[in-house]
Amino acid sequence: MATSSDILYSVRNLTVEYETRHGVVKGVDNVSLDIRRGEILGLVGESGSGKSTLGKAMMRLRNGSARITSGELWFDGQNLMELSERQMRDLRGSRLGMVFQDPMTSLNPVQRIVEHLTETMLTHEPEWTEEEARARAEELVERLGIRRERVKDYPHQMSGGMRQRVMIALALALNCDLVIADEPTTSLDVIVEAKFLDLLKELRDEFNLTILLITHNIGVVAEVADRVAVMYAAKLVEIGDVNQVFEKPLHPYTEGLLKSVPNIELDSGALYKMEGSPPDLSSPPPGCRFHPRCPYMMEEVCPIYDPPFAPPEGASEDTRVACWLHHPHPQKVAIGA
Amino acid sequence: MNLPVQDQETAVPQWEEELARVGFVRRLLRARKWYGADWWFVAISSVMVLAFIVVALFPQWFAPYGPHEQVGPRFLAPGETPDLPLLIVRADSGLSTLEDLATGPDDEVSRPPIAVLRGAPTAGALREQAALLDDELQESDSGLRLRPNIRRYDTVEEVLQAVQEGEAFAAVLSSVQYEEAAGQFPDLDAPSDISGGVASAGDFLLGTNQIGQDVYSRLIWGTRVALIIGFSASLVALFLGVPLGLVAGYAGGKIDRVMTVFMDSLYAFPGLILAIAITAVLGPSILNVIIAIAVLYIPTYYRIVRGQTLSVKQEVYVEAARSIGAKPSTILRRYIYPNVIPSVSIIFSVNIADAIITGAGLSFLGLGLPPSTADWGIDIARGQEFIQTAWWLVTFPGLAIMLVVLAFTMLGEGLTEILNPKLRDR
Repeated sequence: MATSSDILYSVRNLTVEYETRHGVVKGVDNVSLDIRRGEILGLVGESGSGKSTLGKAMMRLRNGSARITSGELWFDGQNLMELSERQMRDLRGSRLGMVFQDPMTSLNPVQRIVEHLTETMLTHEPEWTEEEARARAEELVERLGIRRERVKDYPHQMSGGMRQRVMIALALALNCDLVIADEPTTSLDVIVEAKFLDLLKELRDEFNLTILLITHNIGVVAEVADRVAVMYAAKLVEIGDVNQVFEKPLHPYTEGLLKSVPNIELDSGALYKMEGSPPDLSSPPPGCRFHPRCPYMMEEVCPIYDPPFAPPEGASEDTRVACWLHHPHPQKVAIGA
Repeated sequence: MNLPVQDQETAVPQWEEELARVGFVRRLLRARKWYGADWWFVAISSVMVLAFIVVALFPQWFAPYGPHEQVGPRFLAPGETPDLPLLIVRADSGLSTLEDLATGPDDEVSRPPIAVLRGAPTAGALREQAALLDDELQESDSGLRLRPNIRRYDTVEEVLQAVQEGEAFAAVLSSVQYEEAAGQFPDLDAPSDISGGVASAGDFLLGTNQIGQDVYSRLIWGTRVALIIGFSASLVALFLGVPLGLVAGYAGGKIDRVMTVFMDSLYAFPGLILAIAITAVLGPSILNVIIAIAVLYIPTYYRIVRGQTLSVKQEVYVEAARSIGAKPSTILRRYIYPNVIPSVSIIFSVNIADAIITGAGLSFLGLGLPPSTADWGIDIARGQEFIQTAWWLVTFPGLAIMLVVLAFTMLGEGLTEILNPKLRDR
């Protein structure tokens, strides 16, 4: 499949399955997603919606018993699914970087910071000397606002924010094209979080990064992302420009998510609470997976037919939503099908 | 539910309440926490371990005799003065050893008279020793001979009287006989025993065994064998068990299953019996004992390392390492191994203790080590037939084993308590 030049990473019909005691569970179900060069794409969803599984699958990392069963991963013109594990290793760290959720546990406790960085560099650029790598590591760490001397520290001697910056430094060490940040700010306090997000934006411009920001915090997305993708029960339900999604969410789930965020200006008393809970993925509800919780549920359609993930009527190609409210004549489609 | 009414007034500290609820032994164990006893455990046991290592490295500094030397009378109890045949001379005679009585062709008296007690075994000892010295003198071509003219008297007093009056140049009496009568003859002196040594109480601190070897010296030399077996067997087990555990834990799947079944069956086999079987097949030598014990303890390391690897493998930093493109070998070497090894170092110490016990058990059974080796297990085995008459033959090697094992176990357990925060609050 041909990719247009401004699309860096394209996920096509990706399905990831988990083997569990209760049978096969689809953690990611037929998801397609394009990431454009130089953008920050926010991927939001509740816990267990498959965000992290998607993120790891995009690097072809196994997450427990997860297995990619179908789909294509196009990265800069090549299909990652066709690469050998060796070629994939060469790609990881040099062109695809990942920042993990918990900076407390994502660094090797027995290795110094500088060793983490030089190891990444020397793995991919064996012709570099130790000194070159060390110098570059110090430079990088300094750029991220950590004092040069601190590279000799062990991870436990650093604060959470610093460690998370070290994780970013690992991704930047070899100028990764795409950084997949899996809930990078979840374990940071708000002030550190804000700083970290600012840094992320700066780095995007400076290093020409493309960032997939996976988070359950919709506020984080509002702050830094250019576009937003919303995931619910292993499927994408909406994707669009950040302003459009926040001002005029199309999917009822997105709407619910936005309403659940406390807002000090709109003093509406009790916080909105979405009814019900996410479905059990081992036996997802038929039709639209959100229908049991949806306030706009249409009896004749939603519980029966799975809505397509397509641009709504009259909107541009950039926006896509999986909801019968926005697709033409759901009844007709239903009857036709 | 009926909750007991809580007494609000008594402000008993939490830990005292906790203590009151548990039994005596557990109370002791818990009390360690508050008195910092773990540090004492580690301090005391590491001093002990170091002392044992020094003794094992330089036994000659501590042992008065070699491990195989037959140096004294048989079955001498600890602290007992050896009842040696003493050479007794006039204090002003200038003689100090039996050799000084040797005569050349120019001397007036060719056969120096030596007084002994009639019927006492000392006469025989004197004759033997003199013949020995005479042979040596003849070989050395010095022209000197030692052919004592042995004169027998009926009482100890008469013997000593003869020396005092110059009838005899010297006398040979057992030390016990001499000590009884020595007070009456202040002019006499006992400069040495007839073999030339100077015997005194405490020469054989822990007594002697059935062939006249010094128990204390054998104990000291035995430390070397015990520690060699303990350390080498544990090291061999470690060097085989750790990599196997790492590979099995990391690879998982079939490899893991096959290896775990194999290791578990090895582990389930009664330890000493397996070691007996291996040494019986391989034949007696210290190397074979080490191999047998190492095989026994490989599963210990394997199981611990495999378990740790399984849990470390799940850590985010291993996943992160994969996400930066690290090779599996790099992940094993730089990420998993250093995080697994602390728990291994702790069991290593306890393992040495186990290996020493097993080694001693093997040699007690007469397997493994050549029978003349200075080894505690062998000493106990040899001493057991005399346990009713010579308690020291089995007691001291037994105590030595106990002390070494205690030191290594205490060190290991103490370190576990201190280093493992998960155990600390139990």
